[in-house]
Amino acid sequence: MRRLSAAVSLVLLSLLAVAVAQASLVALILLFSAVLKLNLTIELGLHYLHLSLPAAPYRPEVAVYNAGSIASVVFTAAGGAVAATWKFRRWRAPR
Amino acid sequence: MEISPLAGAPMKGLLRLYPRWWRERYGREMEVLVDELPSRTGVALDLLLGAAMAYAFVIRENRILSAAGAYLHGVCVAVLLQAIGFVLLILYSERWPGGVNTDVALGPFHFAAVMWPIDFFGPRSLTQAQVTRWLPLDWLPAIGLLVVLVATLVVVMTAPRLLRTSR
Repeated sequence: MRRLSAAVSLVLLSLLAVAVAQASLVALILLFSAVLKLNLTIELGLHYLHLSLPAAPYRPEVAVYNAGSIASVVFTAAGGAVAATWKFRRWRAPR
Repeated sequence: MEISPLAGAPMKGLLRLYPRWWRERYGREMEVLVDELPSRTGVALDLLLGAAMAYAFVIRENRILSAAGAYLHGVCVAVLLQAIGFVLLILYSERWPGGVNTDVALGPFHFAAVMWPIDFFGPRSLTQAQVTRWLPLDWLPAIGLLVVLVATLVVVMTAPRLLRTSR
């Protein structure tokens, strides 16, 4: 039971870390869109999140599709998982 | 210089940020030391850095905590790499005057795209576009962001090594 609760806590914490990281990435992309004067569209399932700048009409439109969002989440989680596995296997007690 | 015991109270509060084992071992003598020091920002920063180092030591000692720290580090690196990829995508689409439509796809999966509007008579006429090509004012913000992101990535990548060596 203790192991199970530890495993569930581990999964929940790792999901929370990925969620916070993705929120930070979206915030960074929104900031970059404002700095670079881009019209940004993020596809979220059947919905679209659209950010447009009326003051800058001749600017490109950047679209992030569903596959891009999913790939981003997978890449972030995989980055963390690879780093954690690497550290766990190569860990040595400090002298 | 005489310092009243109340003046060092906020500084003593910072000692609560240290791990419990550390407070049990060094807490008393550190409180005396903090009482003797002036309440300055530099001292507060030193105390905060010391707390971070003490936690880094605790994390290094434990295999699970080390792996958890590495997980967070890996997530940070992944986010920075994606942010760099986003800026590079914008720069790549600006490689030609007036911009080039760019699609990031792998087989049937389309991840992202940059689409430029067609505007023959707008501010980006051919002559102006050629001028801006040689004067890369359009690129400057993107290049600036890229430099900041790469510098941040370097700091994030080297931070664990620096923390290990600066005991």
